[in-house]
Amino acid sequence: MRAIIPLLQMTMLLVVLAVTPAAGGTSTPSPAPQKVVPKGKMVLAWHVNIASRWLDPQEHDGTASPDNFTTALHDALIKNNRETLYDHPALAERYEFAKDAKSATFWLRPGITFHNGEPVTPADVKFTFENYRGAKADVLKGKTERVEIVDDRTIRFVFKEPFLDFPLIFGTANVSGAGWVVPAKYYQQVGPDGYKQKPIGAGPYKLVRQEPGTKLEMEAFEGYYRPVHVKQFVMVGVPEAATRVAMLERGEADIIYLVPGELIERVQKNRKLMLAPVLSGSWWLDFPGFQDPKSPFRDKRVREAVSLVIDREAMNEAEAGGMGRISGNWINNDVQYALEWPAFKRNVERAKQLMQEAGYPNGFTVDWVTPVPAYYSRGERIIAQLQEIGIRARLQVMERGVFLQRLQGGLKEWPGVQIILNGSRIGGSWANWYEAFFKCGGFSSRDRICVQEVDAKFARYEASIDPEERERLAKEIQREILENYYFVPVFRHAFVNAIGPKIAAQTWQEIFPTITTGYAFPWEDIKLKE
Amino acid sequence: MHQFIVRRCLYSLVTIFILSLTIFTVVRLTGDPALLMAEPGARPEDLERVRMQWGLDRPWPMQYLSFMQNVITGELGKSFNYRLPVSELYLQRLPNSLQLALAATLISILVGVPAGILSAVRVNTWWDYVGTVIALLGLSIPGFWLGLVLILVFSVWLEWLPTSGTGDWRHLMMPAVALGWYFAASLLRLSRSSMLEVLRSDYIKLARLKGVPEFVVIGMHGFKNALIPVLTLAGVNLVVMVNAAVIIEVIFAWPGIGRLLYEGIFQRDFPLVQGVVVMAGFMIVGVNLLVDILYAYIDPRIRLTK
Repeated sequence: MRAIIPLLQMTMLLVVLAVTPAAGGTSTPSPAPQKVVPKGKMVLAWHVNIASRWLDPQEHDGTASPDNFTTALHDALIKNNRETLYDHPALAERYEFAKDAKSATFWLRPGITFHNGEPVTPADVKFTFENYRGAKADVLKGKTERVEIVDDRTIRFVFKEPFLDFPLIFGTANVSGAGWVVPAKYYQQVGPDGYKQKPIGAGPYKLVRQEPGTKLEMEAFEGYYRPVHVKQFVMVGVPEAATRVAMLERGEADIIYLVPGELIERVQKNRKLMLAPVLSGSWWLDFPGFQDPKSPFRDKRVREAVSLVIDREAMNEAEAGGMGRISGNWINNDVQYALEWPAFKRNVERAKQLMQEAGYPNGFTVDWVTPVPAYYSRGERIIAQLQEIGIRARLQVMERGVFLQRLQGGLKEWPGVQIILNGSRIGGSWANWYEAFFKCGGFSSRDRICVQEVDAKFARYEASIDPEERERLAKEIQREILENYYFVPVFRHAFVNAIGPKIAAQTWQEIFPTITTGYAFPWEDIKLKE
Repeated sequence: MHQFIVRRCLYSLVTIFILSLTIFTVVRLTGDPALLMAEPGARPEDLERVRMQWGLDRPWPMQYLSFMQNVITGELGKSFNYRLPVSELYLQRLPNSLQLALAATLISILVGVPAGILSAVRVNTWWDYVGTVIALLGLSIPGFWLGLVLILVFSVWLEWLPTSGTGDWRHLMMPAVALGWYFAASLLRLSRSSMLEVLRSDYIKLARLKGVPEFVVIGMHGFKNALIPVLTLAGVNLVVMVNAAVIIEVIFAWPGIGRLLYEGIFQRDFPLVQGVVVMAGFMIVGVNLLVDILYAYIDPRIRLTK
């Protein structure tokens, strides 16, 4: 069954991609809402503390965490929803993306309001976009010439040049918050800091009370254009995993996020509870400065040998209870133009042979293997597996902030022979992954990896406005990275959540149906048992 | 006496100054908070903008002066993460921490003091051995482990108490026991040794020789005098519990000051960490100052010692 789910998801994704207009398309309006009286109370145990900045889409940091909150309190013109990657009609009942990719026009739903009863207007949309200062703000604003209010329900974005990725960036919740509409008048009145304390949005839930860092109490917004089923919704920050599981067992929480490996079995054994292993980020090995003539990783055979010796099945079993996925690509398959690639096989004999051919029959020493903090056990497993072909390495641990700082510092921060066990989950497009982790000068790759011919192809991809050419180039680039073992994919881990008995669901996919976020969503669709 | 108080106040100010300087330096050694505040794709100029916005681009001495200015005005700076004055966050969490610390102190006194007195009165009997074992367990069992065991037993198996969060007395029980357990053990040891010392003193021997009943000797003469250092320790423990119950508050999702500090550390929220630590410093130094003054008032030898 576990193997079938990703296949089903992929099939749905391909269907969606096939029917989603990349340019010159229009979306269809959503059906009219049924009358539902919201009732009951639902509690979510969030796995860390709740940062107030996550409640303000204007400062979206481009990561997945704010998704969980913005999707409850706010709504976007278009958004990712279930299997739709980015253009599910939300506050906009439809939109039109010009064939030349130089403008996008949105028509707001009639009668939609914010939680304070004020109507959602094109002026709010314009303010939201122009005042937005979070992730991708520079890209969105740099390519936009002007935002025009056409009439009291219509707004148009006019671009300086063809901007094919606009709907993708604008509509993917974990990429940018520019399309998540805030009430202009209220926002200006209370200011950004005041807004974070009492955010007003147009989402399915309105905030009733906030205890900064620890708790949010929300209530169903009856003016929402879709039916909202649960009356009271409480999100509580519970950093300790064992406490979260105990809360679920006791019925104090109905949904909990992040069940660590050692507690998975406990949840599995309890027949009242349901595990929800949502496929999440991909993990891969990165060889900083592999182009240096002195680096053993300069030789493709050595990189291939590393790939052959990695025991991906064992990694998945130990680190994700077998609920992750052994994928062939380092880019998640739930983003636009991601390449499906067969999983790499383990073959230690062949790996040894390649090491011998490359002139390293007795292996060599790697100064450090550094996993993304705090996934140190994954790094230890890699080190143990590398020893089978004589590669000796030590584990380097560091605080997460220091790790990010060193990634941004470029090659000088990774002297000698090093391996980074990197991992990420980025939404939207494959290009976001490439730009972040592979492109020379990218915000995370910096100068660690500079393969000019691949970057040249990427420049062509960016300049192109022909979707077919873009897709071809995207896949060509990904193939080149994989065939040359510039990166060695390891596995795609599972973000393991759990659902309590009060929630009305036969399968966990009903609560976590989307391939675009690891969190429960859409909140308004979740029901309690009678 | 006046001179003594002035001298002690000056010592306290020096202590606060050293504490503020230490915490100011130490938090900055953890790295650049701009990296955690800016979006992951932030360019160097974006990071610079964030640093400017929060005054992190200024030299450290200037930042320190701003920090001290904020301490003096009582605002304690503005949290990077919550965008609220630290004093506001602190005061929001303080009632929860006080509630927890008072309950834990009560438990520690109710368990530690009688057990300690009993151990001393029945020294080298099985009462004493039981007391020693309790003290040993209390000091050696980590709070986080005890907390998780309590949750498992009383919440999951017996279903008597809620697992976490705040609410009525039932929410308070387990975190207070988990927090107070260690302090009960330390009070037990101190009560025992203090009582033993008192029981060996001449005036107790005299009282016994005079034929004063044993319960009066212990209750009226011994217990009262043995209690002085015990209550002093209990007072200091209370202040520590208010400010440093980090692990217990995290395990029981208790929204107190300890958890606020934990959040600040993980987010490199400099003003928050600095503010919480300095407030804890003020409390501890304040209590010690008060105790010193009270001791000096009671015992003139203390204030006359140079």
